[in-house]
Order: sequence, then C-alpha cells, then structure tokens
Amino acid sequence: MSKVLKSLTGFLLAMTFVMTDVKAETILIKNAKVYTMTSAGTLDNADILIEDGLIRNIGEDLSAAGATTINGEGRVVTAGIFALANQIGLVEIGAIEGTNDAANQLEGLGASFRVDDVFNPKSTLVPMNRAGGVTRTLITPYNGLSLFAGYAAIMDMTGDYESLILSDVGIFATYGEYAAGLTGGSRASALHELESAFNQGKEFLNNPEAIKSGQYRDLDYSLGDLEAIGRLLEGEIPLVISVNRANDILTIIEFSQKHQIKLVLSGVAEGWKVSEQIAEAGVPVMVNPMDNIPSSFESLGKRYDNAALLSKAGVDVMFKGSSHNADNVRQAAGNAVAYGMPYEKALAAMTSIPARVFGGASNYGKLMPGFKAELVVWSGDPFEVTTYPEAVIIDGKQQSLMTRSTRLEQRYKDISNDNNTFYRK
Amino acid sequence: MMIERFSKPMLAALIGAAFLVACSDDDTASKSQEDNQKEAFESEYKAHEYHPVLIKNATVLTATGDKIEQGKVLFSDGKIVAVGEEVEIPDDDNLEVIDAVGKWVTPGLIDVHSHLGVYPAPSVASSADGNEMTSPVTADVWAEHSVWPQDPQFQLALAGGVTSLQILPGSANLVGGRGVTLKNVPGRSVMEMKFPGAPYGLKMACGENPKRVYGEKGMAPMTRMGNVAGYRKSWIDAKEYMNKWDDYEAGKGNGQPPKRDLRLESLAGVLRGEILIQNHCYRADEMLVMMEIANEFGFKVTTFHHAVESYKIADKLAENDVCSAMWSDWWGFKQEAYDMVESNVALVDKAGACAVVHSDSATVIQHLNKEAAKAMTSGNRLGMDIAPAHAIKWITLNAAKAIGVDDMTGSLEEGKMADIVLWDGNPFSVYTKAEKVYVDGALMFDRNNDKFQPASDFELGIIEPEENRL
Repeated sequence: MSKVLKSLTGFLLAMTFVMTDVKAETILIKNAKVYTMTSAGTLDNADILIEDGLIRNIGEDLSAAGATTINGEGRVVTAGIFALANQIGLVEIGAIEGTNDAANQLEGLGASFRVDDVFNPKSTLVPMNRAGGVTRTLITPYNGLSLFAGYAAIMDMTGDYESLILSDVGIFATYGEYAAGLTGGSRASALHELESAFNQGKEFLNNPEAIKSGQYRDLDYSLGDLEAIGRLLEGEIPLVISVNRANDILTIIEFSQKHQIKLVLSGVAEGWKVSEQIAEAGVPVMVNPMDNIPSSFESLGKRYDNAALLSKAGVDVMFKGSSHNADNVRQAAGNAVAYGMPYEKALAAMTSIPARVFGGASNYGKLMPGFKAELVVWSGDPFEVTTYPEAVIIDGKQQSLMTRSTRLEQRYKDISNDNNTFYRK
Repeated sequence: MMIERFSKPMLAALIGAAFLVACSDDDTASKSQEDNQKEAFESEYKAHEYHPVLIKNATVLTATGDKIEQGKVLFSDGKIVAVGEEVEIPDDDNLEVIDAVGKWVTPGLIDVHSHLGVYPAPSVASSADGNEMTSPVTADVWAEHSVWPQDPQFQLALAGGVTSLQILPGSANLVGGRGVTLKNVPGRSVMEMKFPGAPYGLKMACGENPKRVYGEKGMAPMTRMGNVAGYRKSWIDAKEYMNKWDDYEAGKGNGQPPKRDLRLESLAGVLRGEILIQNHCYRADEMLVMMEIANEFGFKVTTFHHAVESYKIADKLAENDVCSAMWSDWWGFKQEAYDMVESNVALVDKAGACAVVHSDSATVIQHLNKEAAKAMTSGNRLGMDIAPAHAIKWITLNAAKAIGVDDMTGSLEEGKMADIVLWDGNPFSVYTKAEKVYVDGALMFDRNNDKFQPASDFELGIIEPEENRL
C-alpha cells in the first residue's frame, strides 16, 4: 500500500482520492496577489476558489455559498514550498542516533536504500516546517558505505500516516572529495566505482534471469542495487549526484552522457564557471543560495550569485535546504534574488521546477483550475524575513499552524506573572 | 591604556615575563621602561587614515532607540562627531558628503560569537584550531593564538556589515580558554586586529559537549554533575592563586612573586572582574546553576551563548543583568537545542534582559540584520510592537554590552568609534546589502568600488592565476 502513489497524473484518480480522503471544504481567498506560475503570470488582485481539495477557479469577484473566506488583501499567494533534499521525518534530533534513520552501514545496500517507509509523519519537524510554508518535501538518505545514498521520495506535510506522494523519484549519489574518501582516497577510484556500477547494471539489464538465479559470474553489487542502477540506465528516474568543483561537474556530465542516464546535479558550488556546459547538457541543478563559504578545496569558487548565473545561462535551478529549518529556503530564495536571480525563477526553484524534475508537476506547482489546492497565503512577499504564512492549505484543507515551538511560546510568554508553568497547557 | 584593565599582580607577572625575554638580548634589555611594560599580545591596531564624512538624507537607526528620517551622520578622525536631523557642518575641504536618499545607516554590526580565523575556510584539519580538546579546563589557551588573519571569511563578514567580533574557542571544554575581540580589519598578525581596550572573554561550556567529549574518553566529566564539579574545583584553585598574588602584593611572604600559572591567571582575571565570562549554555535550568556558581565564587556571568531556553528564565536573567546571545531559529541539532522558540530574543528583550542575536556561523554572520528581522517579526506575531529602531540593538549596542565594549562602540552617539554601515535600503529586508562599511571612521568596504574590497592572501590566484578567487 505504501508504494501506491497517493496522487497520480490521472485527474480521475486524483479526484477519487481527494473525494475519499479530504472533507469537502470550500475556501475562498479574496483579493490576493497570486503567483500562478502559468501563462497567466502574476495576478495583482485575484480570488481563488477551492473546492473538494482542488483549485476550482481563479479570477475576479468570485463567490461561493458557505465558503470559508480568507482575506487576501495585501497578501501573496504561492504554491506551497517544495523543500528539497532533506531528512524531514527521518531525523528528530540530529545528535541522537536513535532518532536518525537517514543512513545505513550495510554492505550491499546503496542505490536501493529506500527511506520513505520509515518516514515519521508525527515528527515535530513536520508541523514546524509546515507552519513555515512547506507543503511537500523530497526526503533523501545519506551515504553509508556506498557512493549511492539511495532512493528519494516525495512526502506531503499533512502529518497523516499516509504521507507518500511519490516514491523512487531519483537515486542520490556523491562524487568529488567525499566520494574519493569512500573509495580509497582518489576521485579516480570513485569514478572507477561509478563506471563499474553502471557497467554491471547494464549486464544486469541484459541478463536479469541468469543473474537472479545465480547462473552468472559474481557481480560486485546486490540484486537490489543492480536493479536500482538498471532503472537509472533505462532513464526511468534521474541520478542526483552531489558535485562541486568545475571539472568534476564536467566529468559527471560526460559520464551521464556516456551511459545515457538522466542527471541532476546537487551542490554545484562552481557551477557558474561551467554554466554553459550544464545548460547545453540540459541538466537541472540543486543549489543552496545562502552558502558562499569556500568550505573545501572543491568549492573554492562558491559565491552568492551562482544561482543567478546558472539561471541566466538557461539552467533549471532548484533550491535545497536543511531539515529542521527547511522553511528558511524562502530566505535563501530572497538572497538569490538580491544577487541577481529573477524573482519568478527563484519562486519556481522551490515549487514548480522540482515538481517537473522529480514528479508531481501534473497537479502541483502552478495555481490553476484543476490543480491541487496546495498553497500558502503569505502576510507579504514570501521571500522577506518579516513575512510569515497566514494560511497553509494542503489538499484543499487549512492546516494547523500550531507547533511544539508555539506551544512553548504560549506557556512562557507571560513568565513574569506566574512562574508555575508546569500547570499551563 | 589597556594595561589599566589589569590587576597589579598580573601586571607584575606580565612585566616579569617581558623582562625575562629581554634579558636574553642586550639590545632589548636597554629598551625604555615604557617598552618593557608593553604587555604580551597587546593590540597593535591603528585606525586607518580617512577623511571626514557626512552622510545625509539617510534613515538613521542610532541603536539608542531612535529612528531619524532624513538624518545626518558626521564623523571625523575615527569618531562620531554628530548625529541628527540637523548637524553643524564643518568648513573642511576634505569633507566627503554622501547623499544617501533611500538608504539607511546603522552602527557597525557586532557578532559576539564567532570562530572566524580559528575555524577558517576551507574547513580542513590542518587549520581547524578552535577546540583544545585535551583537558576539560584549558583556561590557559587563548583563541587569538589560533586566529589565521588570512581567513577569507573575515571579508565576507565585513561585506555583511560586521565591524567587530568576538572570536571564541570551541565548546568541548568546561573552560575552553580566552576569547578575543577583533575589529574586522585586515592585519598581518592578530595583534593588528585586536580591538584596543576590549576586555578578554573566557569561554565556558555547559551541558552536552564537555560531558560527551570527556565521558567518551572515560574521564571526568561524564555527566552534568561532573561538569559542575569541574567548574567549582577550578574556581577554588583560582581563588587560592589570586590570594597568593594578593599576599605577595601586600608584601607578605618571602618577597618572591608566585610562579605564574596561565590557566589560573585567566580564571583569577574573572574573579577580579577583568575578564568576562562567555558561557555556552542552552538549557534554562543549567543557566540557573551557572549563576548559582557565579554567586558562590563571587563573579558574574556576562553572557550566555546559544541560550535557546533563555525565554524560560527571562525574568531571572534580567534580575542578574546577564546577556543572552541567541539564534533566531536554529534548533533540533542536539537535545539541548530542542526547545527553540522563534520569539526567544523578543521575549528576553521584553523581560528587560539584555538580548543579543549572534551567529556562531560564517554564513549567519553575513546576515545578522536579517536574523534580527526574523526575531523581531516573531515577537510581533506574539503581539509585541517591536520596531527596527529597537531591534537593531540586538546586533549592535546589546552585543557591545555582551562583550564589554559598549562604552566605545555599538551605537551612533557623539564621541564613540565611527563604526558605521551604510545600507542600500532597509536592513530589515532580505534584499538589502551593506553598501559601505566604516571601521573607526575609515572606509573598509565599498560594494561599488573594488579598491575597497579587501582580499586575503588566500584569494590570490587560487582558481585562475590572473584572478582573485571571487
């Protein structure tokens, strides 16, 4: 059941799901600035009608009997944030191992390591990030012993036990300094390992029955990992590879072309230096636009306008962030804009582009009739550090904005009047 | 100047040390008495020469609570001369007048918790010099002796409007060593960066880190009670050491000065009120224990750092006049950082305690203004009415107080150091950048003029031989 797609591309199936799982709630947002991310562009004063979990209509002077009305005056509406490449639901407290399910140390469990089954929708990171405007997240494992970290999955932020949107949307891996460390100390050995994995993946695709039944020479990878690499070789899902130095980026692009696999680059500190080549190869990238620290010798060229320069070259840019503070990606987006990235591209980098790259774009990422009502009403410009979500809507339902943190705030905000806090709710 | 901040016994010790060194060399032995009195590692910072500047038509946040629209700021010879709507403009051919319509002026930002220089970029073991994890009490180490002045992160912080910063040792130890306050200026040595007259800080750490680091080695401390025992033993030793020097000073004993002990010298400096306690402490209950220890031994905790739970005891912090240095929203990386509330800074401030926004990060230090904006917004969402004119204190005047330099910098007031940032807009916006940064009245960074964009040696030819890194 968990592997069943919660929302499929087919409109009908989506409708069926919505009808059964979400209470029919009608919401009308009035007079908001709406970033539709469609050809309609940005509407300065529009209404949004939400029914049965979907956006029913966007336009002027809409009305609906019995609708819950949200005043959008002076507010901005965007698609909910799609947080990328984090461990929400996989980690509760970073330093407490028992709460951290992001990595494994098993031989033979690399590319096929799958973590969506253990996603904890009751983690405090879910409401904390949801209250900050995150409505879906791409969860990814960390590397264990293998260059391949494993499968990524898209989860929603409702906190429901059924949070899976899409599983197996890409396989994460690493190259560069860290990969060299995992494979004996050289990028050349890491590259050798990648070559070997993909060559054996090809052998698996050509001789699956013989390999499964043991009538084939011993291969270096488990059946699960070979199968996973096979899915990359068949172009079913992308390889997402962490890489930073300019020549390493070119090496990986060449590698992906040789093996004819779909590629996404992550990190990409020196991407700006080879932006033309990345654009020409049609490879999307995930960057952190708040990071300009030359923290390693492979990221000496890190700079704030990396996102802007890549975007200018025609590369599809996405933003990745942290786990506990994944919602801060909007501040990072603001920083990207401050350093030259066009506003709507920065917004797309945390909504529609990752949906196009990893899945879900058929009903999320744009605000238009028939799409899922998964959106945020912001108190102002969502990139601003003085702005906050006033309403977060997923599947047409207003989500609670209460968190463990707001509970603590309520308990302690009037500390001087009553020190006996333990009896406060 | 700075020597006045030291007690007589310590001064005697310092002179003694200088004399011993001098004895090995006839030339230096003949140096004047004054030269011999120069303490070791004294600040050699000298403000850069610069002409007088008048910024006019700016929105000025003074950090004393005022916001002046169409304001003027006049500074000269390193000092602020006048701030207001109308200021008397001197008849000086060298005066540069900057028309700052649409721009904002604030004091230079101050980060009370930084590891720039001691954990430089790139982050490699060969230059990671911030944590002397060899003994739980290393009050004898000084962060400044690890500072690499060529760390390229100093210039990134400067571009973020940071003019002063306290560099601290890490938090592995109960007492991690002395911190040092720097002006964010280039220097070939750390002495050329040291903030003249700034008191030393002494880093202490509560909670998880010391007990983990030493507990894993099978030695004390392994528990929080072990932590507290460790602090108290150290203060008992320090008191004894201080008394020995006091006796010597008073002419008691055999007339021979006691042997210097670098560890106890730092601790005794705290007991004498000359060195300020900078205490890494997340949990509210532990902060209360630390204040109890301070009472027991007669010293003061100046600032709690990473004070994630200060909001729970904001009243006690106000009562004891202890500053809290906080993040706007970091949480969850360890258990003692679990109870984060985004209104922490605002709630501490509301209780009348000294609230400071700090970074502990080479990235966040570049965005302190935005961290303050987030903290302000969180307070306002709880029904407070905090304006930028007030919130700016969290990264300027209150920060200066937290490291003991508030009589010299941190606000735009006549006679103070001209540490000033001209922003290209409202600094409480994500889109705003520092356009010009002045340290002691000298232009140290100008976003629009590459002659005023310093680059450390590290930047040269490291990617392309003909170019700087950025």
